[in-house]
Amino acid sequence: MATNLARTSARRLVPGAAVVAAAVLVLAACGSSGGKSVSGSAKQTIVFAEAGLGTEGQQTAKAIKAFETANPNITVKIDVLSSDSTTYLSQLEHSFTAGSSTPDVFESDVTYPAKFAQAGWVLPLNSLNATTSQFFPTEVAAGTFQGKIYAIPWFDNPEGLFYRTDLIKTPPTSPQQVVSDAQKAMKQDKNLKEGLAFEGDKYEGAITAFLTVDSAFGGKLDPQNLNTPGNTAALAWLQDAIYKEHIAPTAVTGWQEGQVQSEFSAGHAAFAINYPFVEAVPPSAAVKGHIGYIPFPAGPGGTPASALGGEMLAINAKSQHTAAAYKLIQYLTSPPVETARAEATGDPPSLPSAYTPALYAKAPYFKNVKVLNGFSQPRPVSPNYLQISSDLQVMLSSVFANTKPAAAAISAAAPTVKSDANATPGG
Amino acid sequence: MAADAPARGRKPLLRWKPSPSGSARPGSARAAADRRLGYLLVAPVVLLLLAITAYPLIYNLWNSFHFVNLGLGGLPHKFVGAQNYTKMFGSSLWRAALVRTLIFTVASIAFDTVVALGLALMLHRKFRGRGFLRAAILVPWAVPTVVSAMLWKTMFDPRAGFVDYFLGFFHSGWANLTWLNASVWRSWAVIFISDAWKNVPFVAIILLAGLQVIPTDIYEAAKIDGAGAVQSFRRLTLPLLKPALSVALIFRTLQALLVFDVIFIMTGGGPGNSTQTLSFLNYQTFINNLDFGYGGAISVMLVVLALVAAGIIVRVFRTEQT
Repeated sequence: MATNLARTSARRLVPGAAVVAAAVLVLAACGSSGGKSVSGSAKQTIVFAEAGLGTEGQQTAKAIKAFETANPNITVKIDVLSSDSTTYLSQLEHSFTAGSSTPDVFESDVTYPAKFAQAGWVLPLNSLNATTSQFFPTEVAAGTFQGKIYAIPWFDNPEGLFYRTDLIKTPPTSPQQVVSDAQKAMKQDKNLKEGLAFEGDKYEGAITAFLTVDSAFGGKLDPQNLNTPGNTAALAWLQDAIYKEHIAPTAVTGWQEGQVQSEFSAGHAAFAINYPFVEAVPPSAAVKGHIGYIPFPAGPGGTPASALGGEMLAINAKSQHTAAAYKLIQYLTSPPVETARAEATGDPPSLPSAYTPALYAKAPYFKNVKVLNGFSQPRPVSPNYLQISSDLQVMLSSVFANTKPAAAAISAAAPTVKSDANATPGG
Repeated sequence: MAADAPARGRKPLLRWKPSPSGSARPGSARAAADRRLGYLLVAPVVLLLLAITAYPLIYNLWNSFHFVNLGLGGLPHKFVGAQNYTKMFGSSLWRAALVRTLIFTVASIAFDTVVALGLALMLHRKFRGRGFLRAAILVPWAVPTVVSAMLWKTMFDPRAGFVDYFLGFFHSGWANLTWLNASVWRSWAVIFISDAWKNVPFVAIILLAGLQVIPTDIYEAAKIDGAGAVQSFRRLTLPLLKPALSVALIFRTLQALLVFDVIFIMTGGGPGNSTQTLSFLNYQTFINNLDFGYGGAISVMLVVLALVAAGIIVRVFRTEQT
């Protein structure tokens, strides 16, 4: 009886098992990809993933149309992913982990290439004889992992210190002067709501805001050695700006770059730590024509500071159109195309040669942007950067909320950051 | 049925006839055919359920005993035994998130249930506009959590929100309070308010349904026997409301244990890690770190926690009913 029951059960299970097996095969087939790479001169369609909306998206579409005209055998399908950086990263990762051969070429934040390279998701561009000497070297370093180039700089966003030239006649030359100028400006102009605005929300931008200040105090964002006097002094300066000097409001704990830009452009802040796009946004009448943009001034033992932001271009390791994809990268990062993009969108070129007199004539602030590019510091180039970033965000958030003194927060975070930075695959 | 009155000129789709007694004799060929037909009819749903619930659950359980980090695509998904679980139990982050989750669950359920009970009792009484109010209180529940969290975040914004502006009328020091990510307690307060605003109506509607099935004559009998309003509530309403209460508690407990979206939108787990719950930690492990092994272990523990909580509620209410 038991045998019969087993046989009956087995008979019943067989069709079910067959259905499951078929489903697994279908799923496996969906996930598989790869194969021969198509020659660059063959007729083909490539997929380009970007996060660009608004003028950035329009400018990319315009440049790609010109590329298609110059390369009639290549059609580029633009895949606009999320403009939210976390969602954008997830969307890319989903494609890569599924083994998809598309997107062939994609926009990448400066912090992604090392992670993508370690995972084997991006193509080393050395195989395509990529050259990078023409770009700003800091961003090139962000796209280089274990000696190989994985991403080409597209645009280079140095974060620096904006100030109101009508309220602060000479740019500050030290962090202490930023405080005193801010306090004076707040007394002078009753429309100001704060002396300094910066990104203090618990997100990636808080790290670049910290980095913008960090080397001015002699600090360095080195995961192996975070607990240094320079890093502590920089973080304490930001904390004091809120709770001791009262030049920044506690509201910064909820501000990202958009809110910081709004505060500055509306005439509510004397200083703001932010990216160059602030210059491209039409400001209020009080601010118009009164915008200065400098590296954060150095304190004792420090150097003028700026944080590297920006976007790069990389190729999917499973792409079957690597030659065409690289042609597109070369086109998008050529001097005239970068200059045109800077004029239209305010995205600072990654090529020093793209900062032309014509660009300065149209948007003089790019002179300052080029200066800041010379000072910009990268975030740690590590395949484990997202974990490091998460640790740093926790540290910064607790300091900006004043739940921990800067020194205590850094000494608490340092071992975790080091451990996450050194975590080895499978270890 | 088709077999009783087939369309003219067409064969019935199913050759099924009820037996004279209304059902086939057990063991007969017809009974076996009926069973087969039954299995066939439910098979698509069973397959679908297996694909979308059983498969992910089992796969997640498998992951939790393996090294699976999708960010390190080239590495084999080797068996690591209970290593992910050992790491989890030894993690101060996980333990702190567990404590926060449990406290939030208990506090929010207690608050939601008491307020919702009051709301349900009010809506149970007859008054003009009752129908409209009953429909209106469902609005917060119908709003997606992400949207309601964004709305509350904006309302508590020190510059753009109305809460500080309103509080400023009472005390000038309250006019510029930063609620989120600047203070642990204020951050939790806003999360709690947003969560309660959305979930109290849900519990209230379930309790209202429970109140409506209580016969009114027992209240009249109690009144004749001299019972006051408080006594009637304690001796009649509450005991008879227990089935509805247990349903509401199970739903709310599971929701509160898995709280994620309101925290993701409002604080991102900050200040520091002070509003990081288990689901948020799980999200970071899966999405940030792509660590499906460790994330799998956290998920499995969440499921166990949810099952234990649901089991306790069912048991407590069943025992008391007995």
